Amino acid sequence: MTENLISVVDDDESVRRTTTLLIESFGFPAAAFESAELFLRSGHLHDTSCLVLDVQMPGMNGLQLQSHLAAAGCGIPIVFISGYESKDFRQRAVQAGAAAFLGKPFSDEQLLQTIRSALRFSHRDDSLGQIEE
Amino acid sequence: MDVQYEQDAGEIKRLQRCINDLVCLLALPALWSGGDISQVLDTLLNTLMRMLRLDLVSVRLNLSVVETPIEIVRVAQSFGPMPPAHEICEALNHSLGDNSPKWPPLLRNLMGDGEVSMVPLPLGLQGELGVIIAAAQRAGFPQQTEALLLNVAASQACIGLQEARLRSQQKCIADELDRRVARRTAELTAANAELQLQVGLLQRLPVSAWTLKPDGTPDFVNRVWLEYSGQTLDFVRSRPDAWISAVHPEDRETASRSFWEGVRSGQGFAMETRFLRARDGTYRWHLNQAVVLRDAEGRVLKFVGTTTDIDDQKRAKEKLRRSEAFLAEGQRLGQIGSYCWRPATDEITWSAELYRIYELEIGMPVTLELIRSRVHPDDVTLIEKMKLVDQAREGSHDFEWRYRLLMPDQSIKYMHAVAHSTRDQNGQSEYMASVQDVTARRLAEEARDKAQSELASVARVMSLGALTASIAHEVNQPLSGIITNASTCLRMLGADPPQVEGARETARRTIRDGNRMSEVIARLRALFSKKEPTTESVNLNDAVLEVIALSILELQKNRVVLCPELADDLPLITGDRVQLQQVILNLLRNGSDAMCTVEDRPRQLVIRTERDNGDRVRLTVQDAGIGFDPQAADRLFDAFYTTKCDGMGIGLSVSRSIIERHHGRLWATLNEGPGAAFSFSIPRTPAGLAHADGIRNIQAPAVTGSAAA
Repeated sequence: MTENLISVVDDDESVRRTTTLLIESFGFPAAAFESAELFLRSGHLHDTSCLVLDVQMPGMNGLQLQSHLAAAGCGIPIVFISGYESKDFRQRAVQAGAAAFLGKPFSDEQLLQTIRSALRFSHRDDSLGQIEE
Repeated sequence: MDVQYEQDAGEIKRLQRCINDLVCLLALPALWSGGDISQVLDTLLNTLMRMLRLDLVSVRLNLSVVETPIEIVRVAQSFGPMPPAHEICEALNHSLGDNSPKWPPLLRNLMGDGEVSMVPLPLGLQGELGVIIAAAQRAGFPQQTEALLLNVAASQACIGLQEARLRSQQKCIADELDRRVARRTAELTAANAELQLQVGLLQRLPVSAWTLKPDGTPDFVNRVWLEYSGQTLDFVRSRPDAWISAVHPEDRETASRSFWEGVRSGQGFAMETRFLRARDGTYRWHLNQAVVLRDAEGRVLKFVGTTTDIDDQKRAKEKLRRSEAFLAEGQRLGQIGSYCWRPATDEITWSAELYRIYELEIGMPVTLELIRSRVHPDDVTLIEKMKLVDQAREGSHDFEWRYRLLMPDQSIKYMHAVAHSTRDQNGQSEYMASVQDVTARRLAEEARDKAQSELASVARVMSLGALTASIAHEVNQPLSGIITNASTCLRMLGADPPQVEGARETARRTIRDGNRMSEVIARLRALFSKKEPTTESVNLNDAVLEVIALSILELQKNRVVLCPELADDLPLITGDRVQLQQVILNLLRNGSDAMCTVEDRPRQLVIRTERDNGDRVRLTVQDAGIGFDPQAADRLFDAFYTTKCDGMGIGLSVSRSIIERHHGRLWATLNEGPGAAFSFSIPRTPAGLAHADGIRNIQAPAVTGSAAA
């Protein structure tokens, strides 16, 4: 199991690759997926510490993946990135428990801080779990 | 005494008888009166036989030297059998001889049973008429009285025969005269019949015929005229211009002038006048023509003329003139001129209205220089176009042509010509064109286009929110990439040790995203800029791919599965790329919108390009959406017709106007299954596009997503 694996789901190859490179430059391991369906079938569902997720995607979109994971009891913190500055999407994403909602373009620092806080949230969950154990 | 007395009494009796016989002979001419020669001779011979108790009497008559003499012989029955008459005559002639003066007063001859005394009586002074021979057997013949009676009878016969001969000659002459008169009469009768026929013809000709004396007085007028005018021959002959009372009052002055000029100059005349028809009191147009007849010295003998009813022709001509006038008026009202060119003679004919449109003096000769002086220098003149078409000599010679006139005041007139080639009566080719001044229509169209463009702008503003989001996404995507890549690059270079290879890749990605963004901006600028539409060669497939690139995200957002089916062998078309892309974009968005409520089937949207009939290219966008009401199919393309609560109904009407300006058409059909298909078909090279009235002047209405049917 990879520690602090960051999974990127975006249908745009360029965005996917660029985002992955940036995350790796932060020092985190990263995995890239073209669609929500591919991510769900990848087997990385349980070792992903943070999910960087695009809103607009063919097939299952970001919000649908979020509700699907929630319904499955999977509490991976999700950082949404979106080209559409939509209050509606942002509101729905945050209400559904998203760790962050980043509108494009965003700076590397913004992403790094967002991922770090998401990971802390994730680790706190983990530590809580460990404490309970 | 008694003997003496008896002798005296016998003498007296003889004398009395002689006198009676003389009287009888003297009365003979009265008996002969009116008789012919044979009657004269017959009477004479019978009288002499009986009166003188002759035994034989003969006559030979020489009427002329050429005719055979007439010979008659009478013999008493007591004389016994006699030889035939001509033998007796021959014998008598022989005993007398031809020379009458040598004839003896009496000769004796043996004849029959005994001797006879024969007295020859010459007819005429020298016996030239012939001779009478009286003969008797008795002795003492002729007695003195008998000789006297014979001489008197001979002279009476001579008179009677002369008269009879005269009468006979007169009768001959009279007969000849009668014959000649009869022959002449027959000739005259025949000639008269011919003349009657001619006169009858002249009287009944279907024209009025007449002759005038040298002073202009009519001397003959045929029945046709008299029946038409109701005038009498006496009236017409009464004075030279009596006929003018039948002329329409308005025509009298000119008619009189022409008539007298023609008569006085001796040249005759030809004039048209209206004459009153007596039968119904109407005036009808007539043509009056007179030619002159002259004698050998050149003096005027007569004028011969006719008056022909030309009313029907005149009315037909007037009707034709009126319909030509109507046509000219129609041309003037419609500002349509006629243009005719005959290649064989290079002759150009214009209607009056065309001169008016060109602002040239009506009727001036149409030359190439004259035409060139009016047609816009950048434009090809109609006559040049006709010549090009004529030289091509292939296919149809019918065509349309649009060009401009540049008037002396620098104003522009827009001309639209519809030309048609045909053949004249002699089989020569001929180009006929209707040329219309469409300037007013052009101005109206431009105003309408402007209004439409403004409407489209309204639609654009209305959907600006949606559009901004779309643009933001398009721009943000590469912009975000640039920032991310640049940051990544810096971080990789700042690492220890620096990740040079990774930094190089991110730098390349930065450049790539920069280019991508620049493309997006160029596309957006082309789509929404105000720049004039252009005519260029367009690869419709490329245009479709660009539109797909722009709209794919929005389509994906709406879960639309786009299936491009682009033909490999699609020819290039001539047109305005951006305008056509606006139409395509509009069709894609309409298709996408039509499927937004569809959940039970794939939201499949097919965009297909293909070759169409007649060197055309067709594009179809087929959706699986809600379709449309077939009854509303005609209204789909009307401005403001929309089935969407948030639409304005501009998109399809503008799309259609763009396609029509590319000389194509845009239509909608319902699928066999769910949904509808919208297609347009445009010619590869629209006629007239390369010219002044091409789409260079078309406004560029924008088409936007939500503003569609």
